[in-house]
Amino acid sequence: MVLELQKPRPIWQIMFSTHHTDVGLLYLISSLAFLFLGGALALAIRLELFLPGSQFIADAMTFNRIFTVHGTTLIFLFILPFASAVGNYFVPIMVRYKDMAYPKLNAIAFWMIPPSGALIWLGFADFTWYATPPYSIISAPGPAADMWIFGLKILGISSILGAINFVVTIMKCKHPDMSLGQVPLLAWSFLSSSLIVIVAIPTFAAALLMLLTDRLGVSGFFNPAMGGDPIAYAHLFWFTFHPEVYVLVIPAIGMMYEIIPRFSRKPIFSNSSGIFAFVLLAIVGFSSWAHHMYATGMSFTEKTVFMVGTLAAVPASAMHVFNFLATMWNGRIRFATPMMWAVGGIALFFSAGAGGVVNSAMPLDFVTHDSYWVVGHFHLFVMGTIAFGSIGYLYYMFPYVTGRMYHERLGQVHFIMSFIGAVLVFFTQHVLGLFGMPRRIYDYPPIPEWIAMNQIATIGAMLIGVSMAIFLGNMIHASAKGRIANMDDPWDLGGKYYYPYQNKNPQH
Amino acid sequence: MGNHSNWPEWIYIGVVIALLVWVGAEAWNVERIVEHVPEDAEVIKVTGQQWFWTFEHEDGTKEIGELHVEVGKAYKFEIHSKDVNHSFNIHDYVVLLDAVPGRVNTVWFAPMEAGVHDIQCREYCGLLHYNMRGTLYVEDPKA
Amino acid sequence: MRSVIGLFLVLTVLIIVPAAGYVYAAGDEPGEYLDRRVEIWNLFFRMMTVAFAIGAVVSGTIVWQVWRFRESNPNAKPTPYEEKGEW
Repeated sequence: MVLELQKPRPIWQIMFSTHHTDVGLLYLISSLAFLFLGGALALAIRLELFLPGSQFIADAMTFNRIFTVHGTTLIFLFILPFASAVGNYFVPIMVRYKDMAYPKLNAIAFWMIPPSGALIWLGFADFTWYATPPYSIISAPGPAADMWIFGLKILGISSILGAINFVVTIMKCKHPDMSLGQVPLLAWSFLSSSLIVIVAIPTFAAALLMLLTDRLGVSGFFNPAMGGDPIAYAHLFWFTFHPEVYVLVIPAIGMMYEIIPRFSRKPIFSNSSGIFAFVLLAIVGFSSWAHHMYATGMSFTEKTVFMVGTLAAVPASAMHVFNFLATMWNGRIRFATPMMWAVGGIALFFSAGAGGVVNSAMPLDFVTHDSYWVVGHFHLFVMGTIAFGSIGYLYYMFPYVTGRMYHERLGQVHFIMSFIGAVLVFFTQHVLGLFGMPRRIYDYPPIPEWIAMNQIATIGAMLIGVSMAIFLGNMIHASAKGRIANMDDPWDLGGKYYYPYQNKNPQH
Repeated sequence: MGNHSNWPEWIYIGVVIALLVWVGAEAWNVERIVEHVPEDAEVIKVTGQQWFWTFEHEDGTKEIGELHVEVGKAYKFEIHSKDVNHSFNIHDYVVLLDAVPGRVNTVWFAPMEAGVHDIQCREYCGLLHYNMRGTLYVEDPKA
Repeated sequence: MRSVIGLFLVLTVLIIVPAAGYVYAAGDEPGEYLDRRVEIWNLFFRMMTVAFAIGAVVSGTIVWQVWRFRESNPNAKPTPYEEKGEW
């Protein structure tokens, strides 16, 4: 059974294909599967933390493994591959080229995902998705730890291959009549995030290798007894992963750039601001990594430098918010499901950023570091902005991929429940952090305020869980039995669903 | 495309940058005064290990899991780790700094009233990280 | 005139009073040590005031826009781009 049911094809034809829409579809299915798997782990965590004491997870080790795999799965096996799905599907179309620049390499990059996912899930390591030494070297039990390291190694290679493909496709294969400034903003978002990946990921690849040799005992990069320093890992890790969070968010913002103008019935307020903001963020994003390390004992001067670097990235994000608001101004907006997700995503993006600015102020980090404030903050980004933008875009591309319409009412119910749920979980977690609850803990003392807030957060999480079940049902049922969509204008907006020069999906 | 005046955008960016400069300046100032350790602060050696805290006072007194200090005195914690990364945290006094093997990190505080407070670990350190807790007793000075 | 006074009051509380406070900052004798909790939480609450004020403006703008420019609003009029159907 395949999603594109107007002219069904055998599944092995899709699996062996190198055409960009097929590879995009493979990325899509795999990323959605991992969304549900990682999400299920989140529900387990929230249920366990509903009350102090053990609820149904028998011991701390299991809990520690669950949150490690939850984070690893949702970042590396959902967000990044989902962005690749969208990019693969639409970037060649947006630059008016027949496929990605290197189709076979593209397929290889996808097929690295399932084995890595298997390594991560079969290992189920417990050292958090940061894998910080010395714990990850001395105490983390193998082979889970080594499987995680190999899994991430392969995923890093997959990311880099995909990034190379996007950069070459956009910069070298775009139509001769199209200048770079005319390339749509969604494509620009892939160009920016791919450039970040190419610069940032190799550092983590090095760190992983060093972690592995340290684990094997042949080196002491992070072992003080052998002359090493655990803080070195923190620098290598965050040098990659701070820019990486921009790799996560930039495509989602790009997706909102597709949805918001379309549904506002106006072009984007300022295309050049959007391009400038993407490129600026990609560059300035490299200047702030050690704000994750304020508590490691850095000197005052070092902390100041990174605080300035962090704050310097805020105007670029602020430009996107302005762009979206100015686009909606004087529009005539249809609040269909994709638009609801995009606008909800912008509102939460702003809250996430505001909390981040507070966190970057060095002294305030003494209150919030490694507490639930941080958990609430980054989840407002990854769920509130990125997942919301991604899910909204999934609804938007649904007719393109399947030729059918999803069920609109259910999509709106999905949004409303998820939005309320996200606010209940993540805003509450900010306050929970202010009250002192550390992150990554299996159990907590029976402090009444902590209990109350954990319970509110769990209820919010259950709301999101139920809404995701509705979402899954909607997607499956509508792809088989949804009404046939009007491919020129599925939402009857009056504008075009496709780019003016674009061919209809060849599978329809 | 978009040949409209964009002065609102420039003003908006100006306001954003002004706000960020204010945030940075305030944070820099507070950090500067908070990091200034009084000269007469009494040193307490804090050692974190999987999964408990030990303390050693200047006069050699050792404590495990609990720390007794006096109201009105300044204390400087020198934080060590014996195995993996931990983070020494007394949330009520906003004392937080990592315990990293191979280095010593320093943070200070001066409690002004008697009370009992929680000490917790704020850096994942394995199985019993959630239970790596202690108690701080701030006592009136024995006259 | 009232809004100028109001703005001045806010600025005084948020910026000038703390800045003046730092001039008379804590010294090094017992009894005069600064209380780090007070300094840090003070900074936090001042930042939160500003953040919530801005948040109110931003989210208020979004909410108002969503209400005013929704297509079911009686005052909704087509955008200039709808004529040609290209945007």
